[in-house]
Amino acid sequence: MAVVQENKSERGMRGVIPFVSTLVLILLMQLQYKVAFIDTMFPSLSLMAVYYWCIYKPQLMPVSAVFVLGLLQDILSGGALGMMALLLILVRVFIVRQGPRLLEREFLFSWLVFIVVGLVYGALSWAIATVYLKESQHLGTAFGHSLLTIAAYPLVVFLLNRLRQLLISESR
Amino acid sequence: MKEVRYRFSTGFFITLSLALLLFGNKNATVVQEARSTLIDVFVPVLDVVSRPIEAVDSAFGWVQQVAIVFSENKRLREENAKLKNDRIKASQLAIDNQRLKKLLNVGEGQVNTIAAARVVADSDSPFFKSVLINRGTSDGIAKGQAVITENGIVGRTITVGNSSARVLLATDINSRIPVKLASRGINMILEGDNSAYPKVTFLPLGEEIAVGDLILTSGYGMVFPPDLPVGQVIEVDEKGIKIKLSGELHNLNYVSIVGYEIIRNQLTQPGRAGTALQEDQN
Repeated sequence: MAVVQENKSERGMRGVIPFVSTLVLILLMQLQYKVAFIDTMFPSLSLMAVYYWCIYKPQLMPVSAVFVLGLLQDILSGGALGMMALLLILVRVFIVRQGPRLLEREFLFSWLVFIVVGLVYGALSWAIATVYLKESQHLGTAFGHSLLTIAAYPLVVFLLNRLRQLLISESR
Repeated sequence: MKEVRYRFSTGFFITLSLALLLFGNKNATVVQEARSTLIDVFVPVLDVVSRPIEAVDSAFGWVQQVAIVFSENKRLREENAKLKNDRIKASQLAIDNQRLKKLLNVGEGQVNTIAAARVVADSDSPFFKSVLINRGTSDGIAKGQAVITENGIVGRTITVGNSSARVLLATDINSRIPVKLASRGINMILEGDNSAYPKVTFLPLGEEIAVGDLILTSGYGMVFPPDLPVGQVIEVDEKGIKIKLSGELHNLNYVSIVGYEIIRNQLTQPGRAGTALQEDQN
């Protein structure tokens, strides 16, 4: 019964929360932060958001939405067109396959899985960038970026949990 | 049926992403224009969203400045006295320089500041180094123009929309800028490698370079005017020569977009050469 009520709230305006929140995070990633270290490297907020929403609300984060968000990130960041779109879709494919099992576990488990996802994401983005730029990239930079993303995961999940409460509270 | 539809849509979007990666990144005009148009839509949003961050940054800067105001004032007074002396020497050198250039019929470069722009976004990727500015073709900006700050070079425009442009930073792996050693005028190329410290290459055999040497733009390539500050050599080893850029690329607020063209002096008529020189000397 609770599930039915939750689904009702997802049909309204609140159903766009996953997409809009990920879009906002992508825009935040583009801003200039004049803080030491963060100015040169920023955690991949879009990866965290797609991972999170694909675990908890995969029906509100369809492949088409993930593709649009990834492509938008590619365009805004000036990166290789299709790179983030492909990586985020692969993350979704992985989560949807594992989803029900992940949902049953605690936060710590999803964070542990995210560590693997973050590292694979770093390795794949490094490989794509190397092929695209036809020059071997610093593996350490990609690894550092992944570690920063993994470290920031609890904070971003805390904020996304608050947003998810909006979807749940509406159904009560 | 639902499963088949899911598999089909996933396969479709993965294929589309791969196709974009393979074919969408060529310099196709359609792709560039579509990119620029979309960026034009988002730049005003990014401009608004970035204002609070800039305000916080300014507030921190103001507090820092207040804290050091007395010592800074003393330092500036001393520097001012030194600069007054330097100005007298520089004006004498400028006159000499102009006279010699006329004698050699050296083409004068004309530098036009096309627009000043605000940096509204920064690429967050470790593999691509660029920024977005809030000026575009409507402000006279075109592809391939130099972008500088008062401290030194920043990069060049690579895609230009109606009200926005993307600037490829000097640190990006695709960036190549003709530079020279300030002390001896040896020409080299500044190559970005996606790290904070780009390297200089093509140092002629037998020439030496040391930590602390200053690097300036050479003016070759007709993008950057000559003699703009580029940076300082911070490391020389087997791996290469690393440069610390003088323009702080991680801390950009406002930049200038400049156009550069050579205007060759009118050739002096043979009969008039001596007279012209005499007039100059008078």
